[in-house]
Amino acid sequence: MSSFWFFEGLRKGRKTEKFPRAPPESPPLRPSRMKGEGFHECPTDAIAEGEWVQEKCIFCRRCEEQFKPTGEQDIFDVKRTEKILMRSIHLYRLDSGSCGACNTEFSAIFDPQYDAHRLRIFETNTPRHADAIVIMGIATDGMKEALDRAYEAMPEPKLVIALGACAVSGGVLGDAPLDRDMYDVEIAGCPPSPYTILEAIDRARGDSHD
Amino acid sequence: MKHYKFGEARGRYIGPAGDIQVYSEGLVRGESGFRKERHDHEHDGQLWFDYGPSTGGMLESVGISFLTPGELISETLVDPSFKKRTLVVKGKSVEDALLTVERINGFHAASHSIAYCSAVEDALGINTDAGTRSSRIVMLEMERVRSHLEVIKRLCEPAGFGVPHSQIGYIRERMSRLISSVSGHRYFFSANSIGSAAIDSKNLLGETEAIGAEFARVYDGLLQSKIFLNRLQNNGRNEDGQHLIGPAARACNRRIDARLDSPSMDYSGAEFEVPVAEEGDSFARFAVRSGEIMQSLSIIRNIAEGPEEEGREHDTGGSGEGAARVESPQGDLFYYVNVRDGILEDIRMLSPSMVNISSFEASMKGNIFTDFHFNWESYGIWISEAGVEFA
Ligand code: SF4
Ligand code: SF4
Repeated sequence: MSSFWFFEGLRKGRKTEKFPRAPPESPPLRPSRMKGEGFHECPTDAIAEGEWVQEKCIFCRRCEEQFKPTGEQDIFDVKRTEKILMRSIHLYRLDSGSCGACNTEFSAIFDPQYDAHRLRIFETNTPRHADAIVIMGIATDGMKEALDRAYEAMPEPKLVIALGACAVSGGVLGDAPLDRDMYDVEIAGCPPSPYTILEAIDRARGDSHD
Repeated sequence: MKHYKFGEARGRYIGPAGDIQVYSEGLVRGESGFRKERHDHEHDGQLWFDYGPSTGGMLESVGISFLTPGELISETLVDPSFKKRTLVVKGKSVEDALLTVERINGFHAASHSIAYCSAVEDALGINTDAGTRSSRIVMLEMERVRSHLEVIKRLCEPAGFGVPHSQIGYIRERMSRLISSVSGHRYFFSANSIGSAAIDSKNLLGETEAIGAEFARVYDGLLQSKIFLNRLQNNGRNEDGQHLIGPAARACNRRIDARLDSPSMDYSGAEFEVPVAEEGDSFARFAVRSGEIMQSLSIIRNIAEGPEEEGREHDTGGSGEGAARVESPQGDLFYYVNVRDGILEDIRMLSPSMVNISSFEASMKGNIFTDFHFNWESYGIWISEAGVEFA
């Protein structure tokens, strides 16, 4: 039986895209960078003084007469990098209070189309082995202690990554679980696409993709 | 309310939506049931051990407690309240509340938004056009396919089945991309509004054909794998499925499905079968879901080239009570709303994840811990929709 799966694996051939070394093959329009001007009734105040604020946008389409999604996937902000993690980076996911979609988009970066493992990006089941904590969802009372404990348990150097509008800004549902000063990387989107997540994590260790 | 009346306990019992008891043909006000409490067992040599709420082995945060004398598990409790979100929707316009409702369970956003929109449309007396109705069925069935793929993918993971795990991950991502091209968003967010829904069915037929063929091949391979089958068979058996809904009930030979008995959605032109199995174990749940993937793909093909949505404008400023029920990937999903002048005054929701938790707990009795992940994944429970309250 194991040989069956071995040959099945070979039969399928290579399915992984070259992204982020090449443009994404199938970028979604939502989420992606929005460009335009005007519009004042954004439900999350993601348009401030005529400018689009990526981390607040939930891609509800209400402004699309004035602001158009471009398909550009680089809607993240890396505030601090750790070059030592170029060799490998182990991520610990923490669901503070998500709707589940950020969780499944995060899982998708390990699917064959993206194959985060080829970039030496791995998931770990314990914060003690983690280089970065990936926080998704809004603040909830019940997860506060688990979040604090996981952060404390991680060895230095550690990166704190906020994944999705809820984690970065509270989105449309509530409050962010941590103060934004705590975040080293903020990934916009509701939920962020796997392309955006993959590139943000890669850049968080100083990879310039040159 | 066109299809439901208060005070009538008629039809099959589905479960509680807060203080409303939901039957397939009526609603009754009143609290039900009880949640089991964890009690002290130290005197009989048994110990509770806790798993979670945050552990990399689980997709979402959830607290699980096992009572065990050493190896066999004698009692299991699931606590979905760690990540409980209090979502503010009352006092919002029905359209603004929809932005929150579709984020209750983002992985099943089509089901939640369609059930909610249908309840609001019932309250406001809005009639949808044929294009909207068939677009919504396509969305629900696409969501079902992806959801079942996710469950089966996660069943392969604890078995260490790298190749089928990746192959189903590949198919699932292909489905996410198709959902994005059909609905404008990978999770159907903002693809529905009160009174209307539209899809772009351009790539639908070819892609669903290809996805079906790819899945069938992986499924055949899994059926030939003794190790995979051994982990699932007799694991988490439910005797009669009396308290279950959705695929988990159908895996206990109960042919219940909101697509057959809910007046909220008209599946009469969809031509489909409802697969059932007899064993009531993790394997039966896997087999039912696999059969449903093929059925849903065929429903999509049957109605994909239906009428177009007419783009009618609807007045959402009215008042009334409404209720609706759809078959989400995990079973009946019910909404009740009370709207006054376009503002949501009251809302109740029944999620299949909440209904099915106690049967999952019961099915762990006599299992060992290594069986847990297979059994848990086979139920497809989403904590996001179980641990939520409205304000
Ligand atoms: S798409 Fe984004 S920016 Fe536009 S209205 Fe919605 S949340 Fe605001
Ligand atoms: S950011 Fe959006 S997708 Fe992510 S958890 Fe929040 S509501 Fe869900």
